[in-house]
Amino acid sequence: MNNVVAKIVIVAQLVFSLCFMCFAGAVYSFQAGWKGKAVVAQQKLTDLETSFTTLKDEKLNVEESLKADIANAKTRADGAEAKVTQLDADLKQAVLSLANAEQQRDKHLADLAVAQQEAQARIDETTDSRSEIKRLRDQGSEAIAIRRQLEDLNLDLNGKLAVADERAQLALERVGQLRGICRANNIDPDAVIAGPIPPAVDKVDGVVKDARKNASRSAELVEVSVGGDDGIAEHMRLIVFRGADYICEIEVTDVYPDTAVGRVLEETRNGTIERGDNVTTKL
Amino acid sequence: MSQPNSDPTIYDGLMFVSLAAVITGIIFLVLALNGYGWSSGG
Repeated sequence: MNNVVAKIVIVAQLVFSLCFMCFAGAVYSFQAGWKGKAVVAQQKLTDLETSFTTLKDEKLNVEESLKADIANAKTRADGAEAKVTQLDADLKQAVLSLANAEQQRDKHLADLAVAQQEAQARIDETTDSRSEIKRLRDQGSEAIAIRRQLEDLNLDLNGKLAVADERAQLALERVGQLRGICRANNIDPDAVIAGPIPPAVDKVDGVVKDARKNASRSAELVEVSVGGDDGIAEHMRLIVFRGADYICEIEVTDVYPDTAVGRVLEETRNGTIERGDNVTTKL
Repeated sequence: MSQPNSDPTIYDGLMFVSLAAVITGIIFLVLALNGYGWSSGG
């Protein structure tokens, strides 16, 4: 009996010893990997703790910053809300002002249209007035020229009048002398005396010997080759022409036996008189 | 009283084999504990 129990115990001891050896070998075989993993895990844990601490500090900082930002934003929001309220009121006021401004603009546009029409009318009137002024200026220039001509003519006539007065005075003296002679010879000076009538002047032709302006350059005097011997008398009108061209008429002012001097009648002038032009009493 | 010398049996061999297994297991555990410095980790 003892031998059987001892044998069973020995076999059990052998089995357990082998199991112990196997477990110990397994522990020895895998403990190195477990240790490395534990070190790595510990290092990771340390790093994570460090990171956690850092992140916690950052979180606090961020929270403080966010709190400050929130307070600032709230202040700004309050200010902005107040501004929005003010701007809303301003907008309403501006809308009212805009409506008033549009009404005024429409009124001003209407006034502008009326003013433009009026300005256009004024422009038309101004244009017409300018044309009228130009026409009046032209008329004024023409009137000035005519007035100068008339002044020249007046001076000429005054000169002639003075000469005529002198001649009249001389003639009166001569008439007085002749009346005295007539009385001394018992002749009635007022009796009608029948005498020879001057013959009618026929057509007389001549040429221009010279032509020049008078001293005041207000008239042109022409000397012709016919005179009293040819029947030319004062105040006779002569026609100056060149070939088939009519030039002007002259009025004889001084008569000499073989020449005469005449003044050009400017209103009949149709060209320039040159030496050698033809002169006639009738065409 | 003398006992007669008995020849070793298979069970004696098994005893030695189990001794060797225990010693080998102890060596493995000692080597493992050397890796942790004989600290309990607490």
